[in-house]
Amino acid sequence: MKNVDMPLLKQVANNLMFDMKDSEYITLLEEFDVIIRQMELISQIPGVDEVSPMTFPFDVTTDYLREDIPTTPVPQEIALKNAGHVVDGQIRLPKVVG
Amino acid sequence: MEYLSLDILSLHQAILEGKITPLELVKQSLEKAKNDQNNAFEYICEKEALEAVNRLDPNKQNNLLWGIPYALKDNFSTKDIPTCASSNILRGYTPIFSSEVYLRLTEQGAILIGKATLDELAMGGTGMTGHKGLTYNPWDPSHKHMVGGSSCGSAAAVASGIVPFAIGSDTGDSVRKPASYAALVGMKPTWGRISRFGLFPFAPSLDHVAFFTRNVMDSAIVLEALSGRDEKDSSSSTVAVEKYSQSISAHLNGKKFAVIKEIYDSINNRNIIASFDKTIETLKQQGARVDFVSMDLKLCKAIYPTYIVISCSEATSNNANLDGIKFGPRFDGKDYEEVMTKARTEGFCEMIKRRFVIGSYSLFKENQAEVFLRAQKVRRLIVDATNNILKDYDVIYLPAAPSTAPLFQGEKGDKLSNEYLISDNHLAIGNFAGLPSIVLPLGFDKGLPFGVNLTGKRFAESEVLSLAKGIENITQLKDLVAKEGK
Repeated sequence: MKNVDMPLLKQVANNLMFDMKDSEYITLLEEFDVIIRQMELISQIPGVDEVSPMTFPFDVTTDYLREDIPTTPVPQEIALKNAGHVVDGQIRLPKVVG
Repeated sequence: MEYLSLDILSLHQAILEGKITPLELVKQSLEKAKNDQNNAFEYICEKEALEAVNRLDPNKQNNLLWGIPYALKDNFSTKDIPTCASSNILRGYTPIFSSEVYLRLTEQGAILIGKATLDELAMGGTGMTGHKGLTYNPWDPSHKHMVGGSSCGSAAAVASGIVPFAIGSDTGDSVRKPASYAALVGMKPTWGRISRFGLFPFAPSLDHVAFFTRNVMDSAIVLEALSGRDEKDSSSSTVAVEKYSQSISAHLNGKKFAVIKEIYDSINNRNIIASFDKTIETLKQQGARVDFVSMDLKLCKAIYPTYIVISCSEATSNNANLDGIKFGPRFDGKDYEEVMTKARTEGFCEMIKRRFVIGSYSLFKENQAEVFLRAQKVRRLIVDATNNILKDYDVIYLPAAPSTAPLFQGEKGDKLSNEYLISDNHLAIGNFAGLPSIVLPLGFDKGLPFGVNLTGKRFAESEVLSLAKGIENITQLKDLVAKEGK
């Protein structure tokens, strides 16, 4: 497992598009001491690599084609009503290209 | 008369006999919700509830939920009703569509009186991380003990007699553990039994719709109302829905119960064990077979890390859409990345950020095989071991948790102990395997409740409910409401 230190935690947080307080990073680093030891328990299971990963409890098969019935799309005004900054029917963000 | 303390069937009968009208009942429920002392609600739907009562179709009054007030966890979308999952990043968000659960309950005539608070984004098991602060256990008027989570508000609303039932979600034990801490029945059915359309995803391979009631029969009624295929949720099942409320038998003779010894042995509270042992004796007296069976101890100790790795990894990915741009409070920034980073920094609590970092770490290219994929493999081994036990038994029978509700300010305890890794987290097995699983009251220790758990075979909800009813008959603990100041 990749070694965990403060710069790594800050890098992960920034990759996830948020920041944390210095005290929170310290708490998280301490938490990782325990988490890593908990994660190691996963590797101690005999025969663990002899089975395939389980991604869902069991298969649920959906194999129907929906009826070809026209529906009314969500009106633009409603679709945008939760966005914080809307101009001319579009969500406004700072310019990407000057 | 205190109608809100009654069970669903009694309320239904009272409405049919004209002893109380849906409007009177809903007004009583709203009044209690407004005076709630436990921080159970994000939003009280007073206007919407009164309008819904006016719209009730008298031709549907034979539906058991017709005119019955309920609470819905605030991670279920409700069109034109604020829904924020107790997270600041969704403050002010009002969905433009409704969850299937809300639609089905509305169709049945149930009246939504409030959106119940939760641990932020349904992550966490303490009821401490919602953006409105702590949610208290109604059984402790001193407000020192948690009610558990993440469905803390739904549990508090039912336990304090505001509503006779409430909907929650259960990814690891988020309904069943609070049920144990609050003397309630908490049930999650088979994965796919109830549509998750409109439920905010936390970890979709583990997420279940679940619910709280105050007795087993009410759980059967709620399950019946919610179950069934929904083409808007491709993971919902086409397996036929049974008449659960009519098939409950409470018949125990010849039934086979398996107690997993390694989980039982990891519990240190002797009062819980003594109460549990007593039920085993009674079960045997009534003709049931109860055997202690074994599950590899290493596998049992891997339950919690398997859960935390899979759930955090899925959550990290599923919540990437919470960017503060399409919805939620907007922050200024020099570019879109700064806008997003500010929104996510201000919008998520510390616990959510920690979980996302754990999930991201598990998914690192260097760690993926050793951590994430291995957790998924261990999940398969745990599920295979569980299903093997259920080949020979009707249910797995265990105390729901190793303790009563913990203190908010209690000691953190050893997170590498068997008690923490195994008995405090064993309910996640039901999520790994997608099996129907129910918790109901078992006893009280120093004034606080604790519960017992039954987990059955896939889609064997009728059997699980019947055996739970049998246990309820033994304990005689049902329809419990915490009284203020008691």
